[in-house]
Amino acid sequence: MNRDQELREGLDACVHCGFCLPACPTYLALEDENDSPRGRVLLMAALADGTVRADDRDITAHLDACLGCRGCETACPSGVPYGLLLEETRARLAKARPVPFVARLVLAVFAREWLLRPALAFARLARGSGLAALLARVLPAGFGMPFAMLASTARPAARVWTPEGDGARGTTALLTGCVMEGLFASVNRATERVLIATGHALRDAPGQRCCGALHAHAGDRATAQVLARDNIAAFERSGADTIVVNSAGCGAMCKEYGHLLADDPAWSARAAAFAAKVRDAHEVLAAAAPVLPATADGPRVRVAYDAPCHLQHAQRVVQPPLAVLRAAPQVALVPLADSDQCCGSAGIYNLVMPDVSSRVLAPKLARIAESGAQVVATGNPGCLMQIGGGLVRSGSGVSARHPVELLDEGYARGAGRD
Amino acid sequence: MTPLGPELRRIVGDAHVLERASQLLAYRSDALPGLRRAPALAVFPGARDELIAVVRALAAHGAPFVARGAGTGLSGGALADGVTLLGLHRLKRILALDPEARTATVEPGVVNALLTRAAAPHGLHYAPDPSSQAACTIGGNVAENAGGPHCLKYGVTLDHVLRATVVLPDGEVVILDRGDEAPGYDLLGAFIGSEGCFGVVADVTVRLTPDPERVITLLADFTTVRAAADATSRIIAAGILPAALELMDRPTIEAVESSIYAAGYPRDAAAVLLVEVDGAAAGLDDDAAAVEALCRAAGARGVRTATDPAERARLWQGRKKAFGAMGRVAPHLVVQDAVVPRTRLAELLDTIAAIGARHRVRICNVFHAGDGNLHPNIPYDAHDADEAARVHAAMGEVMAACIAAGGTITGEHGVGLDKLPYMERLFTADTLDAMCALRDVFDPARRANPGKVVPVHSCREWHAAPAARGLP
Ligand SMILES: Cc1cc2nc3c(=O)[nH]c(=O)nc-3n(C[C@H](O)[C@H](O)[C@H](O)COP(=O)(O)OP(=O)(O)OC[C@H]3O[C@@H](n4cnc5c(N)ncnc54)[C@H](O)[C@@H]3O)c2cc1C
Ligand code: SF4
Ligand code: SF4
Repeated sequence: MNRDQELREGLDACVHCGFCLPACPTYLALEDENDSPRGRVLLMAALADGTVRADDRDITAHLDACLGCRGCETACPSGVPYGLLLEETRARLAKARPVPFVARLVLAVFAREWLLRPALAFARLARGSGLAALLARVLPAGFGMPFAMLASTARPAARVWTPEGDGARGTTALLTGCVMEGLFASVNRATERVLIATGHALRDAPGQRCCGALHAHAGDRATAQVLARDNIAAFERSGADTIVVNSAGCGAMCKEYGHLLADDPAWSARAAAFAAKVRDAHEVLAAAAPVLPATADGPRVRVAYDAPCHLQHAQRVVQPPLAVLRAAPQVALVPLADSDQCCGSAGIYNLVMPDVSSRVLAPKLARIAESGAQVVATGNPGCLMQIGGGLVRSGSGVSARHPVELLDEGYARGAGRD
Repeated sequence: MTPLGPELRRIVGDAHVLERASQLLAYRSDALPGLRRAPALAVFPGARDELIAVVRALAAHGAPFVARGAGTGLSGGALADGVTLLGLHRLKRILALDPEARTATVEPGVVNALLTRAAAPHGLHYAPDPSSQAACTIGGNVAENAGGPHCLKYGVTLDHVLRATVVLPDGEVVILDRGDEAPGYDLLGAFIGSEGCFGVVADVTVRLTPDPERVITLLADFTTVRAAADATSRIIAAGILPAALELMDRPTIEAVESSIYAAGYPRDAAAVLLVEVDGAAAGLDDDAAAVEALCRAAGARGVRTATDPAERARLWQGRKKAFGAMGRVAPHLVVQDAVVPRTRLAELLDTIAAIGARHRVRICNVFHAGDGNLHPNIPYDAHDADEAARVHAAMGEVMAACIAAGGTITGEHGVGLDKLPYMERLFTADTLDAMCALRDVFDPARRANPGKVVPVHSCREWHAAPAARGLP
């Protein structure tokens, strides 16, 4: 099927039932059906039919305001492939009108290691020196949030333990990710440790780059394809059976490489083979069913799980993160209402559309406060920073952590007892 | 006088008035497939005072308007043809919830399922559960007198609304009350189901129902649709009142099982019955056993009982999302709604199947069997002119068969725009006149939801010229 047909069939699948309305964070926040999935499907159809112009702000503003969270997809009985429709439409729009400056800047940095590395190093410096925390406090809303997000990525020094493993579950290679490795390196190290402890052998995949998700979502398909090819080659060289991703957004993108490169005869088969090997870290860990000694005696932390959209709705991985958290003996899970709703992070959305993003974040923070949790666990760097930043700015004592970090801490405790 | 747009902007703010055609694209349809009407303007009040001011401004301008909740209506009721669309979806607060009195007062835009979610911690729920409950609003439910699977036992919206504050089309605010001892005519009863033609609901006080002590959900599968219909009659005849009794035929089962809401219905069954019994724990197992025995006696191949709440939820999700799931079968869909005497259900299903075969269209049945409320739906491709013509011919015959069997043309989706042509097949000119007279009590200027339910001008005028309206 070519991309035209795919778009047309996807749009036609919508029966206007409206089931997606209450699942859409931007509809709930902006209260206009133009900012709902059903409305956006109608707008995308009008664009595809050519009955409206690609430079009509009344149309594009609402497509720009979409988080791409795909909460509508898991609510839709008719199987409207919303994420695919949006990506295709944005790719077409990108040809017809300029991408906003902030977005262009961020995308350009992420596509160039020589810009990205120093940028992240600078960010770590701002974090370490306390500058980020200071600015998060003193700057007004729109300007303070980025610094609050950065400040929230700081981690208490973890107790490092040395995992033992027999590698019986086969070989894995970790997609380290740009933001994950740049700002959450400790999460990557924790992931590596628990992978070994659950019987996985680790392989290196040098030469891997940004996954391209930010680019694909913004309509810059060409750059996403370049990045995908480099990643495919790097992981082929690693020889790993499984490609493990601990960042939900990157995982969703990697699983879609087959579709991204479907038009490229030289790469389509390799892309599909790559995609078939990609697993979210929680999937791999839950399948290994780690059994940790229960610590009825030790202190327990109340943890609420918030599902990253690209795990819950795009990858449809729902239970494994909960299994990972349950395996961590120090964790006491508490329920979080609306945990399947987007936090407003959505890639670079919170940088490009700070106002809508913060309106989407507000109910999330309220639900977290109501849950009584001490820690919010979520497996995506964007969500960790968005929720973490929101918590920092609201002066809440709750912290945002990756589930794998908590599992790692469980192991560290067990190791201490040995 | 200031033009309408700027005046409305002053009341609700710029962001909540849409006037350009490309801003109004998304508001040209509701959930009724195929029908589109472009509003001239859309306005979304965010508070009760704003709502009242908006309606008064509309009245001052003599401007007709159409109320809209979530736009899940299936009769085109929320379509505004060149007039103002008044969206109530921003009025979404639960104003009060009294677990002792078992009542809740809500704004009209509150989503049905969210009211039940708010009541759940108190062991209560809002009983009317249209399949669209995850999205539709209480205001829309009141306007359509919505029903749902569990209305077989618990009654429809009408049975659960105690009081409503209504903004009449001229801007007057009235309270329609139905306290047990309220004397006089039941104006609230007249208002419920008036499809937005009598005024705008500003708030509603509803009854909340205690959750049953226990629920047993059964899924019976049959090798013929007739046997499933027969089982329905046997269950009711035996004096059992299930909480719900729903029938789905094979094309529906296939659509659901291919969707994200796959419920585990047997794909090779000709029909399944979803039966739920609930109430006090004592004796409920006997009811379930009796239902199972009656299904088997009618020829059920198997009867399964949901073993845990998760399975029960899955079985219901499949049913409630069935209509949406048909979207994956073909690009377009006709959704119908008719009621027939329950005793003639089996016979009518045969007739419907024959009509489908004759016109070579694929009719999917999914309906409230316990109430005899049929929903024959036809997925099709509207780009294929020949198929579209056959679909519409088949639907016309199906509706005629239902009327001939002593049934009626809508059970719960309302008349709206879609069923207008059937009204005079069903009612005499005198009856339609009486309906107009009732409407005049609430909306003498006929500005609220013009052109819906009963005719645009005078009933007699309309009745005199049926041919002009292209009856199917
Ligand atoms: C998948 C699906 C399943 C469905 N299942 C059922 C079912 O089981 N039972 C059932 O009864 N219906 C069902 N429906 C139909 C529909 O959901 C109901 O009619 C519902 O009550 C409409 O609510 P709404 O908020 O979407 O109203 P809308 O569609 O927005 O409006 C419907 C009508 O109500 C009027 N209206 C809306 N709000 C107000 C207000 N505040 N004051 C005055 N008038 C108002 C409108 O003018 C219009 O005439 C289903 C629909 C779908 C798509
Ligand atoms: S839930 Fe799916 S079919 Fe229904 S309106 Fe939304 S996108 Fe369309
Ligand atoms: S992707 Fe998210 S924000 Fe966009 S329409 Fe779907 S639910 Fe709404």
